[in-house]
Amino acid sequence: MSTDTTTGAAPGDRGSPDAERDPLAPPAPIVPDTSSSERRALAEQFGLQQMGVRPPLGKYIRDVASRWAFIRVLGTATAYSKNQNNYLGQLWAVLNPILNATVYVLIFGVLLQASRGVENSIAFITIGTFLFRFFEQSVHAGSRSIAQKTNLIRSLHFPRAVLPIAQVVSLLTTLVPALLVMCAIVLLSGLLPKYAMVHVTWSWLLLPGIIALLWVFNTGVAFIVARAVAITPDLDNVIGFVLRLVMYGSGVIFPVTHYVDNLPEGVQAIAGPILEYQPIGVFLYVARSILTQEPSFPQDPWMWVWAAGWAVVAFVVGFIIFWRGEERYGRD
Amino acid sequence: MTESDLHLDVDLDEDFEPEDLEGPRPVATPGDPVLVVDDLHIVYRVFGGKAKQVAAKGADNVHEAKAPKRSLLRRLVSSTSQHVGAVSEVHAVRGISFVARHGESIGIVGINGSGKSTLLRAVTGLIPPHSGGVYVAGEPALLGVNAALMPQLSGERNIWIGGLALGLTPKQVEERFDEVVDFADIGDFVYMPMKTYSSGMGARLRFAISSAATPDILMIDEALATGDAAFKARSKARIDEVRKNAGTIFLVSHSISTVEAMCTRVLWVHQGQLVMDGGTEEVLAEYRKFVRAHRQANSSGRAGGVGPRARRKKKPQQV
Repeated sequence: MSTDTTTGAAPGDRGSPDAERDPLAPPAPIVPDTSSSERRALAEQFGLQQMGVRPPLGKYIRDVASRWAFIRVLGTATAYSKNQNNYLGQLWAVLNPILNATVYVLIFGVLLQASRGVENSIAFITIGTFLFRFFEQSVHAGSRSIAQKTNLIRSLHFPRAVLPIAQVVSLLTTLVPALLVMCAIVLLSGLLPKYAMVHVTWSWLLLPGIIALLWVFNTGVAFIVARAVAITPDLDNVIGFVLRLVMYGSGVIFPVTHYVDNLPEGVQAIAGPILEYQPIGVFLYVARSILTQEPSFPQDPWMWVWAAGWAVVAFVVGFIIFWRGEERYGRD
Repeated sequence: MTESDLHLDVDLDEDFEPEDLEGPRPVATPGDPVLVVDDLHIVYRVFGGKAKQVAAKGADNVHEAKAPKRSLLRRLVSSTSQHVGAVSEVHAVRGISFVARHGESIGIVGINGSGKSTLLRAVTGLIPPHSGGVYVAGEPALLGVNAALMPQLSGERNIWIGGLALGLTPKQVEERFDEVVDFADIGDFVYMPMKTYSSGMGARLRFAISSAATPDILMIDEALATGDAAFKARSKARIDEVRKNAGTIFLVSHSISTVEAMCTRVLWVHQGQLVMDGGTEEVLAEYRKFVRAHRQANSSGRAGGVGPRARRKKKPQQV
């Protein structure tokens, strides 16, 4: 009851028991009785779709969008599982960034006085570290989103862009309570004698806006690193150093633009605008301008335009870069 | 341990509990082609592998990676050390072609490491092919107990993640939730982290989740190998049910009697190549002979003897 492999072709000699054959050796590999082009024609004739090829961009976007429920559940579940194995549980989602900010405030704010020229260095450093942490963790999570989920990828079908998106969503869910604490610290720091008062103004309402833009930007960057690390795992080692460079270059813990003034003229002309308009610098500027009344951070609508521009560019470019590698994830 | 010891972990089990799998063997009613596999090659990139040593031991489907552009630095490094830039490639599937038709139940057999599971995953589209292609009608789905979920989360969350990943809508997951829990028979453990489950409970839940959606083409990877007799019977019933709707199924199993009971056609894969393709009885008879011969060779002290002679025959014969 042999079943024909191909239309109209005789079963041929393939698989026929060979009495002469050494029992320890398997039969010789089958030589298929159809050519590759015949098989492809057969597939076309019956309207079969090729598997494992990258879907067109439009379809891919619809696929990802239709998986929003999956992204949300995967994201919140990942966030929850991270802090599950200790006594304080989910409290660590808030305690971690506080401790992180405390370290930088103590070293750079109090000990080194690196934030000279800033009226409230506690507020300055707290905003910087909380928001930069969101970016930093997004990049790390994005870089591992494919490599650490190989088993999931090899078991289930779904557009792989779901993984980096879910990772950043998971960080966003822990960021929201942390942001409330951040706002509280910023306000309370103004009550200390040596630090400038911080007032709650209408501009605080803009905070969700800049966070949303940062979220979009982070997702875009997560796409790019996800593909890069999935293809070349070595890059995972480099990311930490690049992030540290970005941190010191973005004025997270001290106003980096002040230090530019000490550089020679020619270097200043190049380094100044780069440091001012690079994405992390822009996002931190906007966040500080809406939360504090620092004289060196006045409200500036153009910085919002820059932030929105960076977010859109990062997301679109990142998504396309990630999509172009879609058929490769899971092979290595 | 010899090479053949490693490879021959095959369940010959003539004494396999047939009562678990009784019922009429499905009859093939081949219809239109639903799946065409065209000269499929799958190559894994393995980091930290020592290709030279492995290849020297006779695994002719493992070789050193030939990167398209190897810089001078890379070549210098890899020639001096096995620890830097040690990337090897495993050619797990080497040019397999076949056509599956509507209504067929196809078993895939082969000794350990022959590329069965890789073939199944590639056919499902989960592992992208290195070259060649897989053409299907509809969306194939892999049903298995190996679907990796998140062990640190509760069974409840895992049902949600698994269901949504399978493409169910949140509403469908909600509807089928109780059914999945009942089928897995884990009771209130569903609210405990999965890492606290016994291996049987975990396997049952994964199977229950992955069978929650009914695909067009169903791929089963060793699903019947886990669980007690009662669960085996239940999963057999579930697979029968899914098969009625699915039309075409693929089954990878080490248990020859499972393949015999469920399949109308068998593919025998050896070292990544298709060595036999035909009716269940015909192929399994040959396969049994092959496995028995190896067993005997093993136990009668010819353990090392599988080596050179058999291997010479296994030389890649380009298809």
